[in-house]
Amino acid sequence: MSEKEMSLYGEGVGFERIRRITGYLVGTIDRFNNAKRAEVSDRVKHGV
Amino acid sequence: MIFTVKKRDGREMPFNIEKISDAIIKAFRASGELDEQIKAAQAQMNLLGNDDLLTNVALKVAADAVGHLEADNKTKPDIEEIQDAVEKALTEGGYADTAKSYILYRAERTRVREVNTRLMQTLHDITFSSAKESDLKRENANIDGDTAMGTMLKYGSESAKHFYTMMMLKPEHSRAHLDGDIHIHDLDFYSLTMTCCQIDLIKLFRNGFNTGHGHLREPKDIRSYAALAAIAIQSNQNDQHGGQSVPNFDYAMANGVRITYRKAYLSNMVKALILLTGMEEGEILPVVKKLHSEMAEMGMVATLVPNEKFQETEIRELSKTYDAEIVNKAQSFAEKMAYEETDKTTFQAMEAFVHNLNSMHSRAGAQTPFSSINYGMCTEPEARMVMKNLLLTTEEGLGGGETAIFPIQIFRVKDGINLNPGDPNYDLFKLACRVSAKRLFPNFSFQDAPYNLQYYKPGHPETEISYMGCRTRVIGNNYDPSREISYGRGNLSFTSINLPRIAIKMKSVDLFFKELDRMLQLVSDQLMERFAVQSRRKVKNFPFLMGQGVWIDSDKLGWEDTVGEVIKHGTLSIGFIGLAETLVMLTGKHHGESDASQELGLKIIRHMREFCDKESKRLGLNFSLLATPAEGLSGRFVRMDKKKFGIIPGVTDRDYYTNSFHVPVYYKISAFKKLSLEAPYHALTNAGHISYVELDGDPTQNLEAFEKIVQHMAKVGIGYGSINHPVDRDPVCGFVGVIGDVCPRCGRSEGHAISCEKLEELRKKFPGMPAFKGIR
Ligand SMILES: [Zn+2]
Repeated sequence: MSEKEMSLYGEGVGFERIRRITGYLVGTIDRFNNAKRAEVSDRVKHGV
Repeated sequence: MIFTVKKRDGREMPFNIEKISDAIIKAFRASGELDEQIKAAQAQMNLLGNDDLLTNVALKVAADAVGHLEADNKTKPDIEEIQDAVEKALTEGGYADTAKSYILYRAERTRVREVNTRLMQTLHDITFSSAKESDLKRENANIDGDTAMGTMLKYGSESAKHFYTMMMLKPEHSRAHLDGDIHIHDLDFYSLTMTCCQIDLIKLFRNGFNTGHGHLREPKDIRSYAALAAIAIQSNQNDQHGGQSVPNFDYAMANGVRITYRKAYLSNMVKALILLTGMEEGEILPVVKKLHSEMAEMGMVATLVPNEKFQETEIRELSKTYDAEIVNKAQSFAEKMAYEETDKTTFQAMEAFVHNLNSMHSRAGAQTPFSSINYGMCTEPEARMVMKNLLLTTEEGLGGGETAIFPIQIFRVKDGINLNPGDPNYDLFKLACRVSAKRLFPNFSFQDAPYNLQYYKPGHPETEISYMGCRTRVIGNNYDPSREISYGRGNLSFTSINLPRIAIKMKSVDLFFKELDRMLQLVSDQLMERFAVQSRRKVKNFPFLMGQGVWIDSDKLGWEDTVGEVIKHGTLSIGFIGLAETLVMLTGKHHGESDASQELGLKIIRHMREFCDKESKRLGLNFSLLATPAEGLSGRFVRMDKKKFGIIPGVTDRDYYTNSFHVPVYYKISAFKKLSLEAPYHALTNAGHISYVELDGDPTQNLEAFEKIVQHMAKVGIGYGSINHPVDRDPVCGFVGVIGDVCPRCGRSEGHAISCEKLEELRKKFPGMPAFKGIR
């Protein structure tokens, strides 16, 4: 294999998941406090 | 014999009976029980100081206490044992009142000690835990608790809260707050600031303003308009603890576009004439410039949508100097080019504005200002150009395609202006839906909801409804009914009631209302206490908010004046949390499940609103009812209630209480029904409200449904609403949309690497992909 094929990128890089909490957007769920994290994971989608 | 005492920290200290008698003396002084005897002794022999008698009695009691300890064989007593013995000795000596005040003194000391311990423990946690482990550090999701400045802010904020609860709040307010009956929001700013303000940019820009770091002149084009708007938001944020909002972004920025167009028109007219006549710039520029300024004095200026009066006069006048055909040609060239240039410049200005608000910091560098902008109803072409470009740059995202977190954008919806096909701004409404479907903003506010419409006077943008991003709303004005506007006003402070706790404690509906009334009165008193503290602040304490005349009528005050009178235009708000859990506790079902519960829910919230109205009348101020946003609060209340009352199904069995009047997030319900159930609460919560709908998947694929939901919001009387949907992004390949376990663009799963070769291949298809650094 060539040098180029072996080089990798993205190890340890997570996905960003933006969510709205009390009106404000928050960049990553990591920054939510525990209660809000629980609330976000409980949310069910509303049918249209 | 007793030689040593065990201190609380375990150390042994030499025994000193005077320390015990000192405490006893304090107790006697507090009770006054020996006062008569001391007086008598003083009368008898003037030479003997009153302290001597007191000391003698105290030493005698202390000796008795030591006797008790020795009798119990406690040769190395600890503090608690000594205090027990003193209580006993006082009681036996017949000093009942003093025994009582000694017990109080003990309790007070314990309280101070506990508070200090708690403070030290809090500071310890802030110091030694990362934000990932510490809930405290994530209390506010937009402050990075791991940075040095974030940590410093936390020290200050926690210490201030301890100080205020101990030294400034009335004990009953402090206790209610610490026990979790109520929550006094932004307590760390208790004696310092008011919450938020709607900044009228047009007024602020009129003569330029001073940020404290120098005077900024009235802006001269859309770029400087947008830059100054960001600076104004940032400057004002330093004087308040809540968010900053612009109520008239469309109207204000339109003025900047006007100036930019005029300049672009002039320069293109000159260019065209140079080219068409073959003359020099030095010959042409002075002629056209002079004509334009003469025409401006007569009220004729070049406008984005050309006006005949200007066009005709310009042609007539310039044709005196140049060939008429050339002038005609030059004019249409200038119009076309000036439009395009202005459009482009406006886009860049909006792009920079959004970028600025996401990167600039206030408050010691730890937090981006909480900014909001309201727009949507101005139908002038210049304002339309602003809104279009703002939406387009929002859709595009920040540099690497990231979704902008700020400002919160609020698109104001009104029938006849933008809601329906044929309305002059309907195209912008559709664009707003498209952008919101991708980027979560804008949110939508509804001018036609009856409780918003009642204030609206066409031709007076200051009467349009404005929201502060998180939901705060200020428009009615009981203090001064002639000023029912949003400009220059805001919330002063708010305190929320733990509704579920009242239901848990009272169980029956009748008793619930009784206790609710007690709580409402307590909160009202507390808000008034804080208002009194805020009223004593001076203009100089708010160099921008008051010093630059941002707050209504503050321009009539001097630097040393107190702000008490002008802040009466602000609101004092009573908030609440967990209506759903309250209803489950009282009836077994929440309002999403049962009509009877909905009826009771409305009765409760209406009752609270009526209380606010009554207080407004009684006190001549603006009390209002808030559907509390509750970022840090939803967990705090339920944590305490779980400890106090145990796990109650549907009430305390989750890690959060449901937001304000919302139907619980875990409950399956259609978007339309949810909105219809929540809308009547919007009408009651005049301090602010918001309703959310959660959509699955990627709504940009179904814009029709998205638009239908917004129209339903308008129909059922929602005041402020927004639609949530997942917005994920892979920083490696730049994909934005819904990402499950695997990125749909590059195929990597979270945390895994992919080959650079594959990324290069993808770049051919997606040229906008972020440049990757740190290749291994
Ligand atoms: Zn990817």
